[in-house]
Amino acid sequence: MDLAQLTSDLEALRARAIAAAAAAPDTAALDALDVEVLGKKGGITAILRSIGALPPEDRPRLGAVGNEVRAAVEAAISAARARLSASELAARLAAEAVDVTTPGRPVRRGSLHPIMETAREIADVFAQFGFVVYEGPEVEDDVTNFQMLNIPPDHPARDLWDTLYLDLEGRLLRTHTSPGQIRVMHQEQPPIRALLPGRCFRYEAVDASHASEFFQVEGLMVDEGTSMADLKGLLDQFAHAMFGADRPTRFRPGYYPFTEPSVAFDILCVICNGEKCPACSRTGWMTILGAGMVHPVVLRYGGIDPERYQGFAFGMGVERIANLRHHVVDLRQYMEDDLRFLGAFR
Amino acid sequence: MRVPLSWLREFVDIQLTPEQLAERLTLLGMEVKHIERWGADWQNVVIGELLTVDKHPRADRLHLTTVTVGGETLSIVCGADNIAPGQRVPVALPGAVLPGDRRIERTEKMGVVSNGMLCSGDELRLTGDADGILILPQDTPLGVPLADLYGDVVLDVDVKPNRGDALSILGLAREVAAATRQGVRQPPITVEEGSGPSSAERFAVDVRDPELCPRFVGRWVGHVRVGPSPDWVQMRLLAAGQRPISNVVDASNYVMLELGKPIHTFDAAAVGAGPDGRATIVVRRAAAGERLETLDHVDRELSPEALLIADPRGPIAVAGVMGGANSEVAEATTDVVVESAVFDAVSIRRTAFRLGLRSEASSRFEKGQETRLARLGADRTAQLLHEWAGGVVAPGRVDTAPAEPGRPRVAFRPARVNRLLGTELTADEQRDLLARVGVETEPAAPGDRVDVAITPHLLAVVPDEGSAITALVPTWRRDIAVEADVAEEIARVRGYELVPSVTPDTLMPTFRASPLEVRELVRETLAGAGLTEVVTTALVSPRHHDTFVLARDVPSIEGEDEPGGSAIEVTNPLSRDHSLLRRNLLGSLLDVVAVNLRHGTPDVAVFEIGKGYARSGATAREWWRLGIALTGAAEEPGWNRAARPYDLDDAKGILELVARRAGLPRPVYEAETAEAVFHPGRTARAAAGGDLFAILGELHPDTIDRWGLRSSQRVILAEIALRGLAAGRLAPERARSVVRFPEVDRDLAIIVPEATPAAAVETLVRATAGSLLREVTLFDIYRGVPLAGDEKSLAYRLRLGAGDRTLTEPEVEAAVAAVVAALPGIGGRLRA
Repeated sequence: MDLAQLTSDLEALRARAIAAAAAAPDTAALDALDVEVLGKKGGITAILRSIGALPPEDRPRLGAVGNEVRAAVEAAISAARARLSASELAARLAAEAVDVTTPGRPVRRGSLHPIMETAREIADVFAQFGFVVYEGPEVEDDVTNFQMLNIPPDHPARDLWDTLYLDLEGRLLRTHTSPGQIRVMHQEQPPIRALLPGRCFRYEAVDASHASEFFQVEGLMVDEGTSMADLKGLLDQFAHAMFGADRPTRFRPGYYPFTEPSVAFDILCVICNGEKCPACSRTGWMTILGAGMVHPVVLRYGGIDPERYQGFAFGMGVERIANLRHHVVDLRQYMEDDLRFLGAFR
Repeated sequence: MRVPLSWLREFVDIQLTPEQLAERLTLLGMEVKHIERWGADWQNVVIGELLTVDKHPRADRLHLTTVTVGGETLSIVCGADNIAPGQRVPVALPGAVLPGDRRIERTEKMGVVSNGMLCSGDELRLTGDADGILILPQDTPLGVPLADLYGDVVLDVDVKPNRGDALSILGLAREVAAATRQGVRQPPITVEEGSGPSSAERFAVDVRDPELCPRFVGRWVGHVRVGPSPDWVQMRLLAAGQRPISNVVDASNYVMLELGKPIHTFDAAAVGAGPDGRATIVVRRAAAGERLETLDHVDRELSPEALLIADPRGPIAVAGVMGGANSEVAEATTDVVVESAVFDAVSIRRTAFRLGLRSEASSRFEKGQETRLARLGADRTAQLLHEWAGGVVAPGRVDTAPAEPGRPRVAFRPARVNRLLGTELTADEQRDLLARVGVETEPAAPGDRVDVAITPHLLAVVPDEGSAITALVPTWRRDIAVEADVAEEIARVRGYELVPSVTPDTLMPTFRASPLEVRELVRETLAGAGLTEVVTTALVSPRHHDTFVLARDVPSIEGEDEPGGSAIEVTNPLSRDHSLLRRNLLGSLLDVVAVNLRHGTPDVAVFEIGKGYARSGATAREWWRLGIALTGAAEEPGWNRAARPYDLDDAKGILELVARRAGLPRPVYEAETAEAVFHPGRTARAAAGGDLFAILGELHPDTIDRWGLRSSQRVILAEIALRGLAAGRLAPERARSVVRFPEVDRDLAIIVPEATPAAAVETLVRATAGSLLREVTLFDIYRGVPLAGDEKSLAYRLRLGAGDRTLTEPEVEAAVAAVVAALPGIGGRLRA
């Protein structure tokens, strides 16, 4: 064995391996070629095994040739591998293609009830002005529901609330959220800014605009200087938040035994914008809530000195607000719970 | 209150259009609900003059007339007897439409053509007379549409209960006057008294209960001729919504509408005499068992609370509510006793309610009446009886309390009014505003105190010197009693639109957490998981209630009202379907399922957060619950997959999601086999510590049948008690360090008897694996060879780890061995 012979063997192996790499049909053939030429028992190693037979001065030379051939073959296999895997990937991707225009796999969509959501939105608006939520019982007593609100037994104003009475002495289903005013005043000292959402009940035949169960949100603010001007400002902001900043509002006298002065609060009809249509009884305005300055008698029943403190209260029907915001014409739909109706809401 | 503008104009000038007037009244607190064009339904009805009236050639009861309406002469057949040539009458021309959508066309009556119709007052709804043709005054212009002459505008005003004084034309005229800054013309009350015995000589009034009848004014009117009222009176009454009856009854109704004073008239001949021979009226409470046939011919038992008008023999009227048939004014009546009294408001209201007889009169009495009106009402009625019925008014009145109180004094502080209203009105401005509604003012006298509130007991303050003004309130304004009432009057007259609008800048309250936090979290979570929120009624039917009462209620979270006890019942329900408060949400949610299945929506996944209610003894309790109902497809079918129906595992998954979102551990389940509405083999109770309790299961097929669902679909219902649902906040989550040392999984297949619940196996694993156990997951259940028929193999993956080191093999083996060693304790063994 001499250097020239071994060198020539290596060169021949190089030429053959590079040709084979270029011709390899797939990466598996390259794997085999890699083993055959570069592996521990491969061609290059086999030739270099004879290096011991060479004179010492030739050994480094053959080693150098061997390294050079190895590098060259590795580069060829690597290049071929890159070429092949790209085309194999392309083939795989082509085979995996789907029709991307088919509809997606449905994810069941839930929704939140418009009454609950409207109540939450109302609370969110007043929360900005520091109003916090309180709750009272739905089974109320006559004293809190009426008498402490300045509505004595046999008062003609009781006609404003048709009441469902219970087989519990002195108890009834609350006809409004207003008894919550008393409960909050018993619990807190001024400054008070309270919001009371909840379910109410009336002896009322059910039709498109009346329900025997419905939801109200009550508000109460009490401090030394809380005035009717504050009430008006707050209600204006509320109306603008719920019905748009350009929605005109109207503040006019109302009547409630538990407020003095009492207020009815209107917005310009959302259907006809003041043109006078059946929806607004041809007045051009829609009443959205009742309010007023808390009657001194109510403050006293709440344990608050009406000479030092004053405040306002307001109450609204959530269904009424929801009707106007969502264009619902028959409020029976809210408690019918037909999913075709509820599905329209977020 | 229906207000014909023609009547209103008697007392006040009106230059505004009806729409403008309606808006001004509304802004003054007298809300006009509706503007009615009275006579708008007379189309093509004009004034005609009868030229000839002859017998119909073929019908005895008909007349053949010729009529001119200004141009051509019409021949019209008419059945009335009160017609004669020269009369002016309303003529409905062919094409006319009368009230009730009655259309008039050219017709043939017994062979004679009729070119229209002569109208009666009743056909026009203009007077109460249905028998004769309405004969109009001789100077009524020919050919003019009837509506131009007799049409009116009627405002329907919503008078609030505190303003009984405005339940009258005069009262509303005062409001119009205030709104338009002018005065009111008072009705001309002038009684022309006849000669002969005085009222006091004719009859006596004995008020036995002055508390309930503070004043009774009576007048005697003799020689009345009972008959129809003048047409213009009938027209007014009809426009105001009051049916004409006779001149005597109409006079009392007229006074009620005009002045707001309910009046009653008795046939004097029916009022029995007392010992002195005079007719005697006794005002007293009913005796036990006393009865009276009222004007509506119903024999009524009177409760001892009811105030009666009686004579020495017995009751002749229920005071303030309804007269008695025995003293009713009838055709033959010649002498009339006029009653114009003031009764206790509460007593009248109670009696009217008890008898189910709420009338125009009682609704005015129950709002309170000023005593002055008793005199005015008696005089005005006597005057009208003279004018309309030819009555002779006996001199003088019978009056049980002639003294009339002066104007109440209500002191107020202009500065306090400004503080309340948020205004800066001077004292003079406030006084001027009050003057517009007849409230006179003067500087407060040194002794005048300011009443802040009258109930529950008087709170009056002594004002600083010179800071208060005293309002002298008109006697009819019973609603102005304290300072705040004066403030409202000032704001009202000035116009609420002039109250400034400012953002509150006063002190903020201290922080308070919302009680809704957990409810909001649950709502958002469940909506995100594909469930739809519903709201159902709390009042349910007895059948509904009884069916869904559980043998064992889902317990409440500690600190909240417990369920159990008995149902709370409504004593005056609208219907049996809504007569009891529900105990849980299950039945309500099944109703939602039923409604949607019926409407063709087969897939229903809904939830509600609502209350259960019950009583124990006299105590009512309410507790918050989350209810869930699932039926139909859990996964909707698509082009690439089949539907998967909801089953109990979906409900458990939702429950676990809620628990996880609420920061609770995974709930532990146990079988519930004994609740009648649920499937005995597919129902579970669940608990997560003391923070969550639930029942969830498939409905029993019998329940589905009984609820008439007519569906083979399985229905899953759940009710959940969750900490914080009533009120409460979620504690901040505690962060967990991510483990830096590898954890080790070991799979164990555990064979147990079929009857052993998986929960028992998992409990055993958790109890015995030691402190290194991180997670236990059931990943397979196997039944079949080589297991015995009554065995199953549960495959669990145990994840073991220690936060501070890599576990050694012996540590892992020891943990597994401890579990394996304990298996025989539950009849289990490791699968080889």
